[in-house]
Formats: sequence, C-alpha cells, structure tokens
Amino acid sequence: MNSETLTDLIAIISITIGLFFMAVGAVGVIRMPDAYNRLHAVSKCSTLGIMGLAIGAMFHVGSLAVISKAILTIVFALVATPVGSHMLAKATHLNRMKPWEKTLSDELEIDEEKAAQQTNEKESTPLPARDRPFLSRA
Amino acid sequence: MINLHSLLSLAFGEPPPPAAESTPPPADISALEPLLFALTELGIFVIIIAICMCLFRVLRGPHLADRVLAGDTVAFQVVALVILLTIRLSSTTYIDAALVVAIIGFASTLAFAQYIGNLPRPVRKQ
Repeated sequence: MNSETLTDLIAIISITIGLFFMAVGAVGVIRMPDAYNRLHAVSKCSTLGIMGLAIGAMFHVGSLAVISKAILTIVFALVATPVGSHMLAKATHLNRMKPWEKTLSDELEIDEEKAAQQTNEKESTPLPARDRPFLSRA
Repeated sequence: MINLHSLLSLAFGEPPPPAAESTPPPADISALEPLLFALTELGIFVIIIAICMCLFRVLRGPHLADRVLAGDTVAFQVVALVILLTIRLSSTTYIDAALVVAIIGFASTLAFAQYIGNLPRPVRKQ
C-alpha cells in the first residue's frame, strides 16, 4: 500500500460519512414535524456533510490551493450555519409561529408572557424588547 | 450508470483530460481510485435526490421559515456537488465556487431571517 492508496482510503471514508450526513439532513427536512425541528436537523447535518466532503477533497487532491480553500469552507460552514439557523429560529419565534403540539416546553414564550404581564402592571416602563423592530435590538 | 465525462464532453465539446496534470507517475497510482470515482458518481445521485426532497419542502412548507431553511439546505447541497466535482476531476479550480456559494447562501439566510423578523406580528391569543 503506497501513500496514494492511503490518502484515497481516508478520502473514501470521509466522503461516505459526509454523504450519509447530507442524506440524513434531507430526510430530516421531509420528516420533521415543525420548522424548529427541521432547523435542528438541517444545521448539524449540512455542517457535518460539508466537513466530510471537504476533508475528502483535501486528502484526494492534496494540492495547497485545494487544502487551504477546503479549510476555509469548513471554517465558514462551522461559523455561518449556527448563526444563520439561530437567527432564523429567533425570527420565526418573533413571528409567533406555533410549535408542534407535542413540544414539551417553550421557555421563551413563558418569559415573554411574564414580561407582558409586568408591563401591564407597570404602565410607566418602556416598551418590552419584543415590540421593538428586529434590527434595533441590543 | 451515466458517465460524467460523457456528460461533460456533451456540455463543453472537448472533454477535459481527467487529471492530466496531476496524474502521478505510474509507480504512485493508487489502487482505490476507481472505487473513489464510483463513490463520487454515487454521491452525485444521492445529493440530487436530497435536492429534490428539499425542493418538495420549498413548495409545501406551511410557514415561510420552512421554505427559507429548505433553500439554505439546497445551497449547502450545491456546495457539496461542487466539492464532489473537485474530487472527481482532481481539479483545483472548482473549489472556489464552493466557497462563494456558501457565502451567498449564508447572506440569503440572514436576509430572509431579518425579513421574517420584521413582518407584522400576529396578535397573541390569550
């Protein structure tokens, strides 16, 4: 077994893992009951899938340009996907989408109701954060 | 199974020589390269099926967020297709497109999230 065979073996293993996670993420998009559950499935699976495929490309091609850009892609996927999915879930909750009826708890909703009751008791307090526009939140 | 090189030769006329420049000398040819190429061609079909499933969710999402997250997933699957093309052709040029598509998909997700967050909120039911 020479070195090319060894790097191709590592590439085959990591590409298989990446393809598995991409397929599982797509199944999660179809099968999950709720937008929050779909975000939960998709963000992890697409991040891990991109990571596996990029590691496979690094090990198979092996030139410096591909390795550096694949590492950039992995780091970008690791940083951007949680930020985007968290922001999308927060915006969806701001839009008051109802969660799935079997969801156990929605603690942000409970906190917002408490804040609304407190502002009903004290009229002099400023607007709660949930009634300000989305972009101007601290 | 559809050969990728025949498709590329139909699309671009001249088929690019498969790894002509980066082909190692015959002493270094790996034994697993046909298996790797078959795996990439299988992976192209897997990701095309996954894109079709995400497009189903884009068509039939009950909420706007479902459509947005399915579109974001399609962007990441296009990145995966580009990386598979990089592996299959052993080329160094295509992986720039993967980075660009990932950045544009992230920006579109943020734009749609701000749009959804700025929509008028439905009244809370007491």
